[in-house]
Amino acid sequence: MNISPHEAEEALAAIQQVSKKTRQSIASSGADSSLIVTGLVWLIGFVCTQFLSGTLLIYLWVGLSLVGLGVATTLGMRRGKRMRSPTAGATAKRIALVWVLLWVYCVSAIAIAWPMDGNQITLLIVLFVILGWMAMSLLLFLAPVWPGLILIAAMLLGYFFVPEWFNLWMGLLGGGGLIALGWYIRSRW
Amino acid sequence: MPELNEIIHQPVRLRIMAALVTLESGSEVDFTYLRELLDVTDGNLGAHLRKLEEAGYIATNKMFVDRKPRTFVSVTPAGRKIFGEHVAALEAILKSK
Repeated sequence: MNISPHEAEEALAAIQQVSKKTRQSIASSGADSSLIVTGLVWLIGFVCTQFLSGTLLIYLWVGLSLVGLGVATTLGMRRGKRMRSPTAGATAKRIALVWVLLWVYCVSAIAIAWPMDGNQITLLIVLFVILGWMAMSLLLFLAPVWPGLILIAAMLLGYFFVPEWFNLWMGLLGGGGLIALGWYIRSRW
Repeated sequence: MPELNEIIHQPVRLRIMAALVTLESGSEVDFTYLRELLDVTDGNLGAHLRKLEEAGYIATNKMFVDRKPRTFVSVTPAGRKIFGEHVAALEAILKSK
């Protein structure tokens, strides 16, 4: 079989393109849907927090968190069934352990720094969540961390410069940012 | 000198192999995942998978997941080796230009 150098170049380019797309799809597996769900929870939750108060907010956050967790878990499980890997189980356990440890650390930090106001608690929790995402991106999926850094910068700007509108800021920029990032990852592959 | 492989060189089969070889060794993917990844039709993908399976370059694994029939596809060690040789042959042609 003989082919020209031009054909060889085209074939190699096709191989590279598919390899890149495959790596991206593995890297983003489930991330897009869970980012969109988390973004929706933040968007609704924080916008409501800006304008509502009292026990209604507690019920709202508990309800939103449970629905979000349920939807993200279901979507993740459905997606996970599309690829079977010998190390998938061990990776899933490592991811779960990282999140459990991160939550323990987050709750401990809040307890140590107590008393804190609502904005401080919100920012700390959100920073831990984004930190967790970036750790996953770097260590497991080798995905870029720049979206997380931009989100953290936006959160800090809102916290320091518009504290009275912080929850609205979080809802629109934080929640909206996660939704946009989820759509970006989805459209990229 | 590595040689080109006529079965693998066909554009769709080349892309199928490139996708499967990128996966971790021992991994297998669902037929629909591969179809969406490569943006091909059911019939087209099925035909090329059969050709690759007949050559022993890929393996298919049919099973029921949630009571629905699913086909998982993986590259065989022979397929991985042949694909590596094919890529080396392409690179050699490019270097000889």
